[in-house]
Parts: sequence; C-alpha cells; structure tokens
Amino acid sequence: MTLFKHEIKMNLKSLLIWSSCVGIFCFGCLLLFESLEGSIEPMADMYSQMGAFSTALGLDRLNISTIEGYYATEIALIFSIGGAMFSAMTGACMVSKEEEGHTSEFLNTLPFGRKQIIIAKYFASVAIITLFQFLCIFWELLGFFIANAMPETDCYVLYHLAQFFMQWEIGSLCFLLSSVCKRKQIGAALGFALLLYAMDFMCRVVPDIENIKYITPYYFSNASDIFTTKALDESMVIICFTCIILSSVSSFLVYIKRDLAA
Amino acid sequence: MNNAIEIKNFTKNYGKHRGVTNLSLSVKEGDIFGFLGPNGAGKSTTIRSMLGMLPIKDGEIRLLGMDVSSKQREILQNIGYMPSETMFYPSMKVKEVIRFAAHARKMDCEKEAKRICRILNVDIEKKIHELSLGNRKKVSIVCAMQHKPKLLIFDEPTSGLDPLMQEAFFDLILDYNKQGTTCFLSSHVLSEVKRYCKNAAIIKDGKLMKTDSVENLTKSNLRNVKLLRNGTHEHFTYTGNMQELLAKLNQMDVEDLLIEEPSLDELFMHYYEKKEDLE
Repeated sequence: MTLFKHEIKMNLKSLLIWSSCVGIFCFGCLLLFESLEGSIEPMADMYSQMGAFSTALGLDRLNISTIEGYYATEIALIFSIGGAMFSAMTGACMVSKEEEGHTSEFLNTLPFGRKQIIIAKYFASVAIITLFQFLCIFWELLGFFIANAMPETDCYVLYHLAQFFMQWEIGSLCFLLSSVCKRKQIGAALGFALLLYAMDFMCRVVPDIENIKYITPYYFSNASDIFTTKALDESMVIICFTCIILSSVSSFLVYIKRDLAA
Repeated sequence: MNNAIEIKNFTKNYGKHRGVTNLSLSVKEGDIFGFLGPNGAGKSTTIRSMLGMLPIKDGEIRLLGMDVSSKQREILQNIGYMPSETMFYPSMKVKEVIRFAAHARKMDCEKEAKRICRILNVDIEKKIHELSLGNRKKVSIVCAMQHKPKLLIFDEPTSGLDPLMQEAFFDLILDYNKQGTTCFLSSHVLSEVKRYCKNAAIIKDGKLMKTDSVENLTKSNLRNVKLLRNGTHEHFTYTGNMQELLAKLNQMDVEDLLIEEPSLDELFMHYYEKKEDLE
C-alpha cells in the first residue's frame, strides 16, 4: 500500500493537468451546445450525407442537433483521444521512469520485492486511469447540467465503461513497453494511441481493412455505435480483456526476471 | 561465527561483456569488510547482485543466512544500502524520502533518523532537486541506517562527501559495528579501508584476486625496495624469495638500501597490475 500511495502521489500532478485539459475542453464544448442547438439543425442533414466520413464519425446514424448526437460525435471524440493518450503515457512511464531517473536502485533495495513493485505500479496506473475517467465525467456532468441537456443515462454509462476498458487496454500495453524498456517511451506510447485511432477511422472508411476493428479498441468503444446500438460488442470486449491479461502478465514476467539498471 | 555474506562461484555476464567470473567470498558477522577494486572491476555488479537488482543465474549468494534469489524481501528488510550514485525522486522533500524508506520497512525510525540527520547536518525540509551529490549521499546514509540494520552495504560511500562528513560517516559505521552490525564497504580509496576495515578482498577484471585481513594483506611478502646506486635513487617493489633478492642486490653496486612493507595503495596496485618489477 505504501508503494501504491507513493505512485498515486507521484502521478497526481500529471493526472490533474490532463483531466483538467480534457474535462474542461469537453465542458466548454457542452456549453456551446445550447447556443448551437438551433443553428446546427439545418446542418445536421448535410453532415449526415458526407458518405464514408459521415459513417466513420457516426453522423449518418445520429443527429448532431440532439444532445446524444452532439455528445457522441463531437465531445466523445475529444475524450476518446485525450483519454487514450493519457493512459498510454501513464502506462509507458510507470516502470521505466525509475531506471531513467536513476531511482531504480533506491526503490529496488527497499524491502518491497520486484513482484510487489510491479503489482503496485500496475494497480496504481489502473487507479490513475479510473480517476481520470471520474474527473472528466465530473466536468461533463457539470456541462450537461449547465447546458440543461442530458444524454440517455444507460448509453452514457455504457460509453464510459467502454472507454475505461479501452484506456485500460492501451495503458496495459504501454505498461508492458515500460517494463521492458530502460527509458520512458512517451513518444512511442502517444504515437501508438493515435495509430489505434487512425486504424479505427480507416477501417470504418475502407471496407477492405474492416478486420482491423478487432485490433483497435477504439472500435468497440465508439460513442456513435454505443449511442445507436445501446450495447457493446461482446467479442471485442473479450479481445480487449485478453490483451489486458496478456500484457499485464507479460509485464510481470519480464520485470521480475530482467537485469535492472541503477 | 556465522557468515553475514556468503558468495559461492558467482558468475555474471552482460551478454558478451564480462561482469564477474566465478567469485567466491565470505564475510563474517560483525566484520567491517573492504571490497577493493578499480572502476569496472565488478564491485557494483557483485553488490547489485547481492541486492537482487541483477538476477543470479550462476552461483549462489546468501546474505544473513538467506538465499538472495528466494528471500529478497526478508534480506532487504534487514540490510541498509547506500549506492555510489545516489538519486531520489526530485520532487520529494528529504523528510518524505526518509519517511518513505521507513514506511517501506513498516517501521517507525523517526528517532534514529533525527539522530543521524543531526550528526550529518541534513536539512530535511529541502527538496531533493535542491541537493548536491554530497547532500544526497547524506540522505542516503540516513535511509540506509535509520532502521538499525544487521548488515550495511556501501558502494563507494565517501565520494562526494567532504572530509568532515567522511569522518562523521565512519564514526557512525564504527558505532553500528560495535552494536553488531556487519559492514561491507566497496571502495577504491585504500587509505579508508586500511583505517576502518578488518578484512578486505581485492577484485580485478571480474575475478577475486585476494581475500585476507587488512593486516595480513599488508604483511604479504611484497616489499618496497629503495636503493642508492652510482649516486642515483632507484625504487621498485619485489615479491618473492628474500635470498634471491639479497643475491641480486649483492651483484649491484648498492651504496644505500631501504627495504620496507608496502603501503596499501602499493599493495592494491600490485594485485591490480599483477606485475613483477624485479625478475
């Protein structure tokens, strides 16, 4: 618990900065909804007829002039990318920051043991991702309250649950990268998060590469799909959890056996 | 008396690069043991393997009677370690680092930590990023000693410390040693090993050259020979049969002669270079 608390404390500043940036951005966009509500209605038809791009963004299924449509196609995009980047960065720094900052020798010679260190760090990264979710949800709910509009609660909860799964998966994969590397791979982690988003966008536009949807977790956590179908694709959630389990177990196995730099 | 440290046939390589080869070493409980060697000899590799930072594949290392590979946490609970290049979390205050190290051991070490901080003149309110290397070393000493461990391991502890602090540091070591703590001290400052250690080992190129008491190491048959010949002063070290040395000296036209025990520095260089000056 000492190490878990220590990790939360060490990441608190980054958590507050990122959740404030993403949350306030979402909040600001939600405040715009009230003023856009009337003027955006005539444009909704046009947005829904942009062919593949309308499909990719979900504008063919949802009406942007409604709070569900506005949230799922505009706000959720910011939250998805921001959340994925934050979880990627959190995972990628969690273990390797010790060796890069030369604190590994101090930490590993305290009586924690490698197993406890890697477990505490993993759960701290999951807790930080969870806190990020709640802080952003707080800003969004504040925005809904002020804008006097609220999307369907079931869909909203399901969307954030899916987003949490996605962020957990990306965080776990980047945590694996962090447990292998001796230096923080922030660039690679952020690139990875954006690449997965690009894969989601492309597989929705290009039918030939549709199977990529099984690789990118953005696909099953897409707000437009969730607000339309009101359900999650179970097979993709299973793939997501398989990735989480494999990456976290691999991180554990790699870390407890490898040479640690000072 | 039991061994506080026992290393048997330990080998560690980094890929194709040499680390330590077939090292065997034991340190008795209550000893102050010096581990001598030049940079890159394998001192830090040995120490970091003792602490579990480098997994042991060949050989066996036991600290305080426990196997390092299987009882790492129990061992770390009872030892204090000070690395050569001390680094802590830059955003933390000194007191937070000291408290974190104590909490890691689930111990209340406040009283002892305050005592050591007072002796070493540590400002606990400062942030780590504000500290010099010497001051970080002092924090490291507090973290290593505050829980009164059974075994203290120091990797080149005095680098960065001013002479007054070095003196205070060794006084602390002697104080703990009197209470039964074993000290393992890696260094290339031979004078401090000679002054404070009871026994020592010399390592070179990853291989153990010699282990003995500091007294016996000094009393080896290595001799400093200083002579005056044809008005010129000559100086060399000699290892071997004294009769042969005397016979060789007899053949020279020696005007004045002094044969003395070597200093520990010369002894170290002797083992380090393994060079015979007089054939």
